[in-house]
Amino acid sequence: MIEFVNSVANGVLIGLLYALVAMGFVVIYRASKVFNFAQGELIVFSAFLMWAVVIDRQLPLWIGLPVTFIGAAICGYVLDRLFLSRLVGESVFSMVMITVGLLILMRGLIIIIWGAETRAFPVVFPLRPVIVGDIIMSQALVIGGVITIVLAFGLSWFFNHTRTGLALTAVSEDQQVALSLGISVRKSMSLAWIIGALISAIAACVYLSGRSLNLHAADIAFAALPVALLAGLESITGLIVAGALVGVAQSLAQYYLDPWLGLNIASVVPFILILLILLIRPSGLFGWKTIERV
Amino acid sequence: MTSAARSDGNMQGLPSPALLELKNIEAMYNGIVLAVKGISLAVRQGGCTALLGGNGAGKSTTLKAISGILLAENGEVNSGEIVFGGERISGVVADRIVRRGISHVMEGRRPLSHLTVEQNLVAGGSTLKSGAEARQRIEYVYQTIPRLADLRKRTAGYLSGGEQQMMVIGRGLMSKPKLMLLDEPSLGLAPKITEDIFALLATLRSDGLSLLIVEQNTRAALKIADTAYVMETGRIVMEGSAEEIASNEDVREFYLGLDKEGKRKSFREVKHYRRRKRWLG
Repeated sequence: MIEFVNSVANGVLIGLLYALVAMGFVVIYRASKVFNFAQGELIVFSAFLMWAVVIDRQLPLWIGLPVTFIGAAICGYVLDRLFLSRLVGESVFSMVMITVGLLILMRGLIIIIWGAETRAFPVVFPLRPVIVGDIIMSQALVIGGVITIVLAFGLSWFFNHTRTGLALTAVSEDQQVALSLGISVRKSMSLAWIIGALISAIAACVYLSGRSLNLHAADIAFAALPVALLAGLESITGLIVAGALVGVAQSLAQYYLDPWLGLNIASVVPFILILLILLIRPSGLFGWKTIERV
Repeated sequence: MTSAARSDGNMQGLPSPALLELKNIEAMYNGIVLAVKGISLAVRQGGCTALLGGNGAGKSTTLKAISGILLAENGEVNSGEIVFGGERISGVVADRIVRRGISHVMEGRRPLSHLTVEQNLVAGGSTLKSGAEARQRIEYVYQTIPRLADLRKRTAGYLSGGEQQMMVIGRGLMSKPKLMLLDEPSLGLAPKITEDIFALLATLRSDGLSLLIVEQNTRAALKIADTAYVMETGRIVMEGSAEEIASNEDVREFYLGLDKEGKRKSFREVKHYRRRKRWLG
């Protein structure tokens, strides 16, 4: 029983990390209807930036964190300006292809700038685990989970109640209408990319704190994909529930199925979920359904 | 050209100067399709101009050319000039044009359907300087269109067509426009609701807002307008005061469905080839 509780608790935490990564997808998707395949590379980029400042240059964390966040924001802005904002009004397909190109380009650039070796990521959150009764949890993931929940509600409030946020939401619903209301689609997209890049910097800290860093860290974006799909690509608070579901499913599979089957089925669980979601409910649990009045 | 056409076309004798002027505009989509072939029209300060015509005449494209939305649809104004309040606005991007005081209420209502009425209004106020100004403006919109105040928390996508049309007009008012472009405000609405919408437009006009209305409901549009233009396949074929247009024999036959004695006649009896011969020959 205690193993079950432990699996569930840690599953929820992993799921919340996925939700945090997925939040980056969702923010960018809402503004531009573009599914950003380079989201994982944004995470790796911020992670290497952090490594360069804190480990390589031996600067303290309180300098490293702001530098990473500012660097990530600039990176998001530049990517949007250079590649995506030129394509406003073009087909979404060409924009998505651009993000696939960005994925390859950023991988190359990261290798050129920082090399392909595995590096140590600084310890952002204390390494000591959080122990509640018999449940043992990673402190980074617990703090990360809290950050995810706060961020989800904060962003959701921002998108539904502030003028800037509602302008972004208007862009995500109907770009032409947004234009007719005097909302600049280009500026909104830039803002979305900046927010998306900042979220990936936070995700990098939570995910990699005290762990080793190499290009494979980008794979977490693909594990987070089913969370974004399950939540429905538009809902931000829905990510919390979707994240928890995917995380728990993966964690239980790891604990119960893997020893029984003798293979690592857990790492495939998110992708099986993608197929199921797309087959059964493509708009996700909380996504916008097309409102049709009859 | 018919007798009514061109006789009063240059706007002379009207009391106030032109707020918006289109001079020989040509608009294209994708660099190939010429949708508007050199049209000129004017809306005077505080006036109401109706732009009439059948499907595919280029009316919506004309409005999109004015508001700059054409640029976002792979279209462009490739010759001619659009002047608003004495300044050239052709080629200016859509969000700047809204800031200059033109609000475009698009065809088919287009509410932000997952947001509430109030959220729609807030989104419409993005160009205002402060949140306080936006709140004031929302109060103004609720005063002008009281129905919206009752609906403020309702999801826009589930409103009735008439309510949605009122909401998008209210949303268009948020940016404090001097001129409102309305594309088929009566589209798909019951006659009674259409009356309400046009009554609302008349109120807005008496508050000093200038209007340029594109309509297929010729009767309703001519009732509120002071000037009217008739478009056919990208060209203006007739222009004049609303009374002149309303009493023109061809307009009465082709758009109002009336025969010579003023009785309603079936559109089945309208000979379309005659329209083509008279106007485009």
